[in-house]
Amino acid sequence: MWSLILRRLLVAIPTLFLVMVFVFILQRMLPGDPLLVMAGEERDPVVLEELRKLYGFDRPIPVQFLIWLREVATGNFGASLRTGAPVTELIAQTLPVTIQLAVASLIIALLIGIPTGVLSAVKKGTWLDYLANAISLSGLSIPNFWLGIILILFVSVNLRWLPASGFVSVFDDPVEAFRTTIMPAFVLGTGLAATLMRHTRSAMLEVLRLDYVRTARAKGLLESKVILKHALRNALVPIVTLSTLLFGQLLAGAVLTEQVFTIPGFGKLIVDAVFNRDYGVVQGVVLCTAVAFILMNLIADVLYIVINPRLRTT
Amino acid sequence: MEAGVSAPTGDVLAVDELTIRFDGHGVDLVDRASFRLGRGETLCLVGESGCGKSITALAVMGLLASPPARITRGRALFQGEDLLSMPRKPLADLRGNRLAMIFQEPMTSLNPAFRIGDQIAEAVVRHHGVSQQEGRARALDVLRRVRIPAAEKRLDAYPHQLSGGMRQRVMIAMALVNRPDLLIADEPTTALDVTIQAQILALIAELQREAGMAMILVTHDLGVVAEVADRVAVMYAGRFVETGPVDAIFSDPQHPYALGLIGSLPSLGKREGRLATIAGSVPPPQRFPAGCRFATRCPFADERCAREVPPLVETSTPGHQVACFKAPLEIHVGGLAA
Ligand SMILES: Nc1ncnc2c1ncn2[C@@H]1O[C@H](COP(=O)(O)OP(=O)(O)O)[C@@H](O)[C@H]1O
Ligand code: SF4
Ligand SMILES: [Mg+2]
Repeated sequence: MWSLILRRLLVAIPTLFLVMVFVFILQRMLPGDPLLVMAGEERDPVVLEELRKLYGFDRPIPVQFLIWLREVATGNFGASLRTGAPVTELIAQTLPVTIQLAVASLIIALLIGIPTGVLSAVKKGTWLDYLANAISLSGLSIPNFWLGIILILFVSVNLRWLPASGFVSVFDDPVEAFRTTIMPAFVLGTGLAATLMRHTRSAMLEVLRLDYVRTARAKGLLESKVILKHALRNALVPIVTLSTLLFGQLLAGAVLTEQVFTIPGFGKLIVDAVFNRDYGVVQGVVLCTAVAFILMNLIADVLYIVINPRLRTT
Repeated sequence: MEAGVSAPTGDVLAVDELTIRFDGHGVDLVDRASFRLGRGETLCLVGESGCGKSITALAVMGLLASPPARITRGRALFQGEDLLSMPRKPLADLRGNRLAMIFQEPMTSLNPAFRIGDQIAEAVVRHHGVSQQEGRARALDVLRRVRIPAAEKRLDAYPHQLSGGMRQRVMIAMALVNRPDLLIADEPTTALDVTIQAQILALIAELQREAGMAMILVTHDLGVVAEVADRVAVMYAGRFVETGPVDAIFSDPQHPYALGLIGSLPSLGKREGRLATIAGSVPPPQRFPAGCRFATRCPFADERCAREVPPLVETSTPGHQVACFKAPLEIHVGGLAA
């Protein structure tokens, strides 16, 4: 297992390098001058030239890239061109927000996806199965931002039950954290629940026809134990992997939902940075996302081994 | 069903007219199978692949998946209670306790996610409500009884760490841990190396004698049948074509199919290894003949055989039954036997 981790980490280095190259090039291909955004009303060519020199934007692009690479390698992820705040600080502020949202979303997705997946596998071909499938299909096809807006209109504006926007950390005020996180987490979670449900269903169907399930019945175990212990334990192996990967996606991809609910998270950070041509922040955030993704993949691989006795001992 | 077919006391299992159909098949894959089994007795079930031996065994255990399987008729009285009409819960109370089964597939019959010891202990805990610790103690005990070397260490092993023979020993241990009154062993050695097969069968036979339990053994090995069976049931295409005491079946087989299997009739079957072969093969269920299902392969078949189903009738030997219009065959085979 350690050799697997080591191998993965070695592969991660070229992966991260490629990510850096791409984000660097793509960003500079975008129209718009970061200095104009930054300088605001200041249009004095002399001042602009000074600034350009100061930030190194007058150098050739490959040189700029190498400078960035050197800085990152020494642990300096740069600063916002607009506010001067260090990128690490911005990430440290927004990442916990997104993590809280991602954890809440994943919990909701698992709580909905796994039981319905198990149920529709066990009741395969009955109206319950069809109902679960129909709901999950609609869950997959409803866009998150639309569901978010509808929820805000209904729950916040009409019923006034929950706040429409904002964020409170669970460590500051659990109750308020719950109230601000539940709606966006529900929006993100239900989308993932549909995916989880389908995978759980097919994994369960696969497992339920195996011989050891028959053995469990032959022992006289009650059907609930046969399904929830003997079958589900094995069906969960691919589900755990999938959930970890979904979590990685949540960290990177909650952009729209964060916008709809005005949550000051990772997604909002990057969207603002892109619109402001804030090169340093975009680069830092994308790099951080890439690292998170690689880590989640690694965790998925390790978990797969940990919960799979056949692999653990080899 | 008529009254009066209820089991005489002393029968562990009495199956009456068990009939199994699968959704989408217009034919009974097991057709009115009847047999009984006394305390401590061994019944060997023989017949070519696809005859319905496994689904008969699974039906008795209540392990046939329904759908697609449907039991359309019959009873299976186990110590006086009908297994086929029993609600799920009391049936599950019997399974793995007084009624146990060993399967043909040792490689896939154990759950890969749990330790051997826990899988066996689970059966004890389920039926005797003992602690997990006590369950593991009994698991260790039974692993020793099935002679697994280093049993103590095996308790914590996962199935993939064991060979096929060892896994089948574990399955046997799991089936026997609660000392059942009836053990159903469905070709327990078919999937194993030839060298291991004899060991496992000897083990099963020995444990059975020790425990005094009744056993239904499904096997292809007529040598084993001759050795361990009290009674034999010969199945062909979903029907019992001949049943009786092992001596009668071997010394005086009456049904042409049984004759072929046992290989005592040179023109019908050549003995190859221990199992004789019969010309042709079992037709697929949708092409079972309407009358006697053996008619397509039987050298004695006539027009009546194609139309009518021959009933199982008692021969001159008590307890020996055969389903063939031409039985006893002696009067017909004069010219055939070399
Ligand atoms: N799940 C199933 N669906 C449809 N047909 C089945 C199923 N299981 C078994 N059968 C059919 O039932 C018949 C008897 O099978 P089986 O009892 O396994 O035979 P045996 O154990 O004697 O080799 C075969 O024709 C087989 O194709
Ligand atoms: S009934 Fe007819 S076809 Fe069937 S076994 Fe007897 S002789 Fe052959
Ligand atoms: Mg079989």
